[in-house]
Amino acid sequence: MIKGIIMVFIGVFVAPLLGGLIAGVDRRLTAWFQSRYGPPVWQPFFDVIKLFGKERMVVNRWLVFCAHVYITAAMLSVVLFFLQSDLLLILFVQAVGAIFLVIGALSTTSPYSQLGANRELIQILTYEPLIILAFVGIYLVTGSFRISEILVQTKPLLVSLPLLYIALCYALTIKLRKSPFDFSTSHHAHQELVKGFLTEYSGPYLALVEIGHWYEVVLILGLCSLFWATSWIGIIALVGVTYFCEILIDNVTARLTWRWMLGYVWPMGLAMGFVNLIWLHGR
Amino acid sequence: MLNTILFVLILGPFIAGALCFIIRSGHVRSFIVLAMGCLIATASIILFIKGPFSHTPPPLLGIPTHFLVLWGDDLLLFVMLYFAFKHGHLFTKILIIFQIVCLDYFELFMVDHTENFPLFFADNLSLIMVLIISIVGSLICVFAIPYMNKHEEHQGLKKSRQPKFFAFLVVIIGAMNGLVLSNNIIFMYMFFEITTLGSFMLISHDQNETAINNAVRALWMNCVAGAAFIIAMIWAYVIQGTVDAQKLIQAGHMGGIMLTPLALLCFAAMVKAAQIPFQSWLLGAMVAPTPTSALLHSSTMVKAGVYIALRFAPGYAGTFLSQSLAVSGAFAFLATSAMAIRESNGKKVLAYSTIGNLGLIFACAGINTPEAITAGILLIIFHAFSKALLFLCVGDIEQHIGSRDIEVMRGLYARMPRTTLIAVLGIVTMMLPPFGVLLSKWMAIEAASKHLFVILPLAVGSAMMVVYWARWAGILLSAPHGLKVEPEKQGLLTRFPLLVLVWGAVVLSLCAPLVYSKLVVPILSAPSFSIRAGIFENPTGTFLFYPVMLILALGFIYAVYAAKKARKARLSGPYLCGAQTTDPESFEGPMKKPVAVLSGAIYFESIFGNQKLTVWVNIFGGMLLALLVGGSL
Repeated sequence: MIKGIIMVFIGVFVAPLLGGLIAGVDRRLTAWFQSRYGPPVWQPFFDVIKLFGKERMVVNRWLVFCAHVYITAAMLSVVLFFLQSDLLLILFVQAVGAIFLVIGALSTTSPYSQLGANRELIQILTYEPLIILAFVGIYLVTGSFRISEILVQTKPLLVSLPLLYIALCYALTIKLRKSPFDFSTSHHAHQELVKGFLTEYSGPYLALVEIGHWYEVVLILGLCSLFWATSWIGIIALVGVTYFCEILIDNVTARLTWRWMLGYVWPMGLAMGFVNLIWLHGR
Repeated sequence: MLNTILFVLILGPFIAGALCFIIRSGHVRSFIVLAMGCLIATASIILFIKGPFSHTPPPLLGIPTHFLVLWGDDLLLFVMLYFAFKHGHLFTKILIIFQIVCLDYFELFMVDHTENFPLFFADNLSLIMVLIISIVGSLICVFAIPYMNKHEEHQGLKKSRQPKFFAFLVVIIGAMNGLVLSNNIIFMYMFFEITTLGSFMLISHDQNETAINNAVRALWMNCVAGAAFIIAMIWAYVIQGTVDAQKLIQAGHMGGIMLTPLALLCFAAMVKAAQIPFQSWLLGAMVAPTPTSALLHSSTMVKAGVYIALRFAPGYAGTFLSQSLAVSGAFAFLATSAMAIRESNGKKVLAYSTIGNLGLIFACAGINTPEAITAGILLIIFHAFSKALLFLCVGDIEQHIGSRDIEVMRGLYARMPRTTLIAVLGIVTMMLPPFGVLLSKWMAIEAASKHLFVILPLAVGSAMMVVYWARWAGILLSAPHGLKVEPEKQGLLTRFPLLVLVWGAVVLSLCAPLVYSKLVVPILSAPSFSIRAGIFENPTGTFLFYPVMLILALGFIYAVYAAKKARKARLSGPYLCGAQTTDPESFEGPMKKPVAVLSGAIYFESIFGNQKLTVWVNIFGGMLLALLVGGSL
């Protein structure tokens, strides 16, 4: 019971701090790649605090509603993760937030927001099947969708699921909206996109979305860590290397079109995932 | 008591239908429909409370029941034959004559009518079906009363066609009740055929060229199902010497020899449920007035197909037939989701989603473990409410704005706030936790995880499903800036069914653990989940149903509160790159002229919009069906 309460506490309070810190490190590393000095590591927190202090300005009140539903779902999915719950359940709860964020963006008439929302739906379309396949792979190895069963494994999952891990990394890049898959919204200024489907979220509501995104980053990296959950060194090494590669890819690739994403990620990701599933099934 | 209830549930709608047809007064008709709705809804609840039974009612008017069935069947088939000749459709004629010959020979010379077994049998599966058919079906009939008046106003007919319409609308309900309660497979066949004729009449209601063409297509496809059914029936009788459905199910398990009739039954069920490549009849049914679509899609007709598959599921457990059924269903789920994603026609999106969900139920029946069967049954229940609701919403919207196109529904919230909110809620119950459809989908995915050729289509298909639902919900809400939301006027008979259905969908979802433990568990060979404090749990996974629901509900309430509080926030126009004119919905274009802002959703024409895709999907679906039947010969 006490362990459960601690886990909920970590999920609710520590996870966003960690997520914000990761965002700060991300910016520093990106700056380093680009031979800039970059902002302090705490900059994401300063940004969010500043956003909270802004005047409340809305296009319509659906946006307010959707931003709140988004952060609730994001928080809940992280809490479920730390409570070692069912993987599919976590995915579905996370989807509630993702969908409501899109619905909010669609509820305005701004073309940037509309276009971004449609593209975000395509991003969801692209990554969801990959994540489900990765979970199915985990199930075939451990016999359960529960995270608690993964943690009692003696062999890292990565050994049996290498291809599915790569497929999951595609999903990760799309979910983090990193280049080349950053066409629904982007961390960088892009003229054709403005801020994509986040265009109309502003002030304190944008701050909520930002915090929700930190939760999601923690959730996704958490999912990656499951693949080497047998030791702390394994977790840190795997997550560290993966995230470093994400930032590197983000910096060396350019944004492409959604047709390219769908036409490239689906065949590659699904094929790799499926092959991996077949060899697990054959055992 | 039981005799009376069965009479009310099965023959009551037929009598009401006849009355609707004979008495040509609008008010009397409305009264009959309302009274029948209340009566059968009550009767279904009483039947449900009384619990499972097997029963043989005394002969009606002293005539042996099998004579009535034979006459009824012949009458029915000859009526269908008349329509086949009227519309000059050769294939239908052949199919119907084949059925008449087979049936009469079978009934008169083969079947031993002295065999003693209960004519009616109901376990919880039948009782659940009766509840859904009677309650959702009645609500749709009630909605149809004001809807059809308006519909005929638009058409400007000299003579009202409503008597015939309502007659068949209620008859289908009676026939469905009969189908799910019968234990004699010949009865089942008769009711199966009545729904075929009923849907033909309802689809052809508007009597224009498209309506008649689509109705004829529905007729011949369903006649294919009927023919498969009758072959299965005779084949099974030759092997087992009985028409008792329960005995056939138990016999199926013993030897591979029973597999062919069962495969043919599954084939008939899949055609009835408009699975690929037979989906075109259900899509064509969209030309009919909306209550027809709502009835065919949610509680009757297509549900007859999945009911038969689930009913006979214990008979083919662990066979090749079972596996190919699962793959076929999963493929239909994937293909129809891909087709729905390219549609901007709201009713077609609903139709594809129905076929997809039915495919999922077939996949569950094919996987055939207690978990999968649970998922299938729960999906039938939750899908019926949400889908009926969405169809009625679209019908209501169409009568107000004159279109069923999703793009035309842009910003509907400003014009019809009440209906729009109900529709959005309906959409949310179709795709997101903690609602029942998603709970069943979770069960289905976990149950399918060992079947690679099932899980891949399910994974891709469910992502597509999310896209088309979310897109639609968002578009409904995208009201132009600063438009004042007007309260909406809605007649009582329109509002009542919508409210009951939306509350039904939400409250049933709230009670999902109860629904599972009280309704579904008694049917299963072994309980598939243990339930503790609203948590579904088995070795495969855990669904924290009430905890998740509680937190999401709290978040929802807080979000509503925050949105209310944001009333004080300053309103600003949508972002238009600073080129906004004084009107927030237009920007300054060339020559300083204002240009109105327009945007549309992405419908993936370049990827899924190809007609060739449909051809290939049909070919592949046909091959899977051939595999299903051929593999069990």
